[in-house]
Amino acid sequence: MTPKSPIRAVVPGYAQRLTAWMLRQSALLLRQLSKGRIESATGVTVGAVWVLIAPLFFACGVIDWLDGGPDALAFLASGLTIQLLGFSILRFSKFPSTLPIAQLFTAFVSGALAALVAATVAHLVTGVAPTIDVALVEASATVTGTNATTVEPESLSLGMTLFRSFGQWLAAAAMIVVLVRILPHLGVGGLDADGGVATRSARRLAPRSSSTMVRLLTLYMGLTILLAIAYFSAGMPLVDSVIHSLTTVSSGGFSSYSGSIGAFESPAIEWVAIVGMITAGTSLPLMFRALRRGDLHRFVRSIEFRTYIGLIVIAVVAVLAWSDKWPTVNNLRETLFWVTSAISTTGYVASNPTLVSYGSEALLLVLMVIGGMSASVAGGFKVMRFMVLGRYIGRELRRSIHPSAVEKIHLGRSSIGEVALARIIGELFLATMVILASVLLFTADGLNFEAAFSFAISSLSNVGFAFGLGGPNEHLRALGAVGHLSGALLMLIGRVSVTPILVSLGGIGEPVQREVRRWRLTRHERSVR
Amino acid sequence: MRRVAITPVRVAGAGLLAVALAMTLSAVVALIDGGGAAAGLTMAALVTASVGCALFFGSQVSPTTDSALAFASVAWSWLAVALAGALPFLFTGVVPWAHFDDAIFESVSGFTCTGSTILSDFDSVPQGLLFYRSMTQWLGGMGLVVLAVAVLPALGIGGLDLIASEAPGPTADRLSLRVRDTARRLWLLYGAVTCIVAMLLLAVGMSVFDAVTHAFTTIATGGYSPRAESIAHFDSVAIELVIIAGMLYAGANFSIHWHALRQGIGAYGRVSEIRWYLSLIAGAFMLLLWVNHGELEWFRNIRESLFYAVSLGSNTGFGSSNYVLWMPAAHLTLLILMLVGGMSGSTAGGMKVLRLQVVFRYSFRELMRARHPNAVIPIRLGRTTIEEQVASKVVGFVLLYLGLIVAGGVVLSGLGVDPVTAFSGSVSALGNVGPALGEAGPTSNFLVFPRAGRLVLMVMMALGRLELFPAMLMLVASLRGLNRMHRQREDTKSP
Repeated sequence: MTPKSPIRAVVPGYAQRLTAWMLRQSALLLRQLSKGRIESATGVTVGAVWVLIAPLFFACGVIDWLDGGPDALAFLASGLTIQLLGFSILRFSKFPSTLPIAQLFTAFVSGALAALVAATVAHLVTGVAPTIDVALVEASATVTGTNATTVEPESLSLGMTLFRSFGQWLAAAAMIVVLVRILPHLGVGGLDADGGVATRSARRLAPRSSSTMVRLLTLYMGLTILLAIAYFSAGMPLVDSVIHSLTTVSSGGFSSYSGSIGAFESPAIEWVAIVGMITAGTSLPLMFRALRRGDLHRFVRSIEFRTYIGLIVIAVVAVLAWSDKWPTVNNLRETLFWVTSAISTTGYVASNPTLVSYGSEALLLVLMVIGGMSASVAGGFKVMRFMVLGRYIGRELRRSIHPSAVEKIHLGRSSIGEVALARIIGELFLATMVILASVLLFTADGLNFEAAFSFAISSLSNVGFAFGLGGPNEHLRALGAVGHLSGALLMLIGRVSVTPILVSLGGIGEPVQREVRRWRLTRHERSVR
Repeated sequence: MRRVAITPVRVAGAGLLAVALAMTLSAVVALIDGGGAAAGLTMAALVTASVGCALFFGSQVSPTTDSALAFASVAWSWLAVALAGALPFLFTGVVPWAHFDDAIFESVSGFTCTGSTILSDFDSVPQGLLFYRSMTQWLGGMGLVVLAVAVLPALGIGGLDLIASEAPGPTADRLSLRVRDTARRLWLLYGAVTCIVAMLLLAVGMSVFDAVTHAFTTIATGGYSPRAESIAHFDSVAIELVIIAGMLYAGANFSIHWHALRQGIGAYGRVSEIRWYLSLIAGAFMLLLWVNHGELEWFRNIRESLFYAVSLGSNTGFGSSNYVLWMPAAHLTLLILMLVGGMSGSTAGGMKVLRLQVVFRYSFRELMRARHPNAVIPIRLGRTTIEEQVASKVVGFVLLYLGLIVAGGVVLSGLGVDPVTAFSGSVSALGNVGPALGEAGPTSNFLVFPRAGRLVLMVMMALGRLELFPAMLMLVASLRGLNRMHRQREDTKSP
């Protein structure tokens, strides 16, 4: 084996140690703080999220003050409030000694909700959002990494723009932590969605999940810095390149211009964005293992990666074939941009989607639903789960000829358990029901059918742009309060997947149900007597 | 003459003979009406009958049967019937020979009880042909309910396999083990109900021709109407009520109807599917009432909402107005109705209410399991418990169904149809409904789709009617059948 060059060995090693130190310090801080009386995982999570998110408020406040913007004081004050609230909640709660799975679900969802509340507060105090429903949907777009907004990005102060893009970046980073630390216990979404195929590969990175987490986070930060440099060298202004690299690598999609990437009118920047978006949709463990040894063949060996790239290629060919234009380099870039923006669920816009042909529109919607690879920061239902579903259908077809055949579903070299399969299918059905319900709400709130459907799919997959109206991002502006609230909920459901939300709702529902049953029983007993 | 022992051929022959009979009947109607087309219909009948005879008498039933062969029989006979059914449109000159695919479209749409039409000018179409068109749907519905149960066992195939292929899921309720008897009863019921509907329609003021044709397509949940404006042509509340009752009846399971006739009305109460079916339609009706409130005058609102809730909930597709002009929220409601369709064991298409039930139970079980990972929770429908095997079959079906809708929608929009029309057309075709949303609404016709798009829709109609799995396995099975024939020939040679 050739010896590693000193830079390759030193820089990542140092970055990794730095990340590990930061994680350790924050964990220590949280542990020291949470020594209260009340055993509540939810309390600890909410407090932790608020304590950890407050520095972002301070940083954005300071930057805004340096920039001479109007939001410095608002940021500092709200940051302080959130910090204090977080501290006090942490102070009174304690991590429980035993944690039933239902409570873990609730804690997960309440963590997301806490982040949502913090971002809502930021939008309200800075006056970006006039009403609470607008603030909620803006906050939801920030926390879930969706490029849907009601405001003109140019009208925002620098502090707010940075807050929003850093919010998307941090939320995606938190998703990585959740992917490695929490979702394997829950068995929904993320790494465990495929019955542990990706989890095992992630665990193979390191036997302990905390070092896995450190490695993936380091990779995530490294990619952000690389992308910022790439944007800068492609000719973007410095601040813009930081903002865009933050929202590209997190597949968030917020931009500092209302024309998104298209505002720069630069092919070089678009190419950088395309590569960045493809990277954002790629599995992080896969990337880490491939890059650590420089073993690029790992990408080729991964069946999910092959499918992911294959989908992009097929979609590009189809879109080009369906448009009446010749496949010049410009058209190719434009098409590739649409396709990658949809499948990686970033939601950047480079040209007007009303120019896209009908077929491409349908195809882009399908790509949004499919989403990125599993164990990536992208939204959507994930490529691997659809591969599993395809194999499931094939198995059922074969079973109808040979009813007693027993067949396991394989993906690559690993087989998928029946429990994981049922979980994937259940998630898909529930998501479909959620989409139908929200389309009803959107149409009732005044969107036309096409706009409502595409926006529901786009929100659930955390993309942002949709079709059927004049522009790609007009939908939220066209909606009223009902639409805003359901849009916010839809984005949140898309990010944390349906099951945790419904199960946490069940956390409220089940005691009620139990009480009702007890009440009915006692009434029955009374009548028997 | 040595007969070839392949069941699919013989079944297809029997189907063709039945179609020839329908053509002859229509020719008689055309003669009485005097509007022409008698010659064309007779010619088509002759051709179909001769091919049918050749197939039927030239083959015999295979000595061994398995589910693959049964699948192939169903699929191939549908195909043969649909192709032969196109002949009258061509022979009478209503559809020019250059557009033979349109004739096949009309025929496929008829035999699959879909009701999407490519006819634009109804006045120039002879009455005999319109009668024939309604008859195709009636035969298709009859085939749906009965062919699999009665004719095929008469040919010596294990009919129960076919019931499973036609109406998968609840294999428990097989009416009786004597399949042939069952089939006769269903046929009797089907015919009797058609007669009753026809008489009721006659009583509320339709002409004989209209009453008979509409009764045919109502009970088949087809939706072909000899009038261009469909039911709106008559503009009569009484007619609409009769048709609503007919559609509601036809969208429910015929075996339950038979039980209800024998054991009293209580038989309906024992089936959970019928509660779901009715509450789905009632829910859609309420939703439509709410959405259309303020858009339509109240009586018209009740009338049209009820009509469309039933018409699309039973996947019939009759039209009483143009719902394309309604609010978008109403469109979603209608689309969900089209997607779900009627009950299993009925002539209605769609995903079937029963599968929706299973899907609901399945997904909510997953929620329960997420909360209580070690719980063992059976999937229950009413009081019966569904086996895991059956549940996963249903789930596989639904996944495939949704996948095909998406694929069809993408292909259609790729051919240049706007996405709303494309996806709703895809739902409508796979669910054998008839009208779609967007440009292909109830007052429009399917010429809005490009020629290639109509081919796609045609395939989807056939797939939807054959409940996907048999159609998907058709090729596999026929290849295997050929293989077996080859092997048999080898065997007979060797000794």
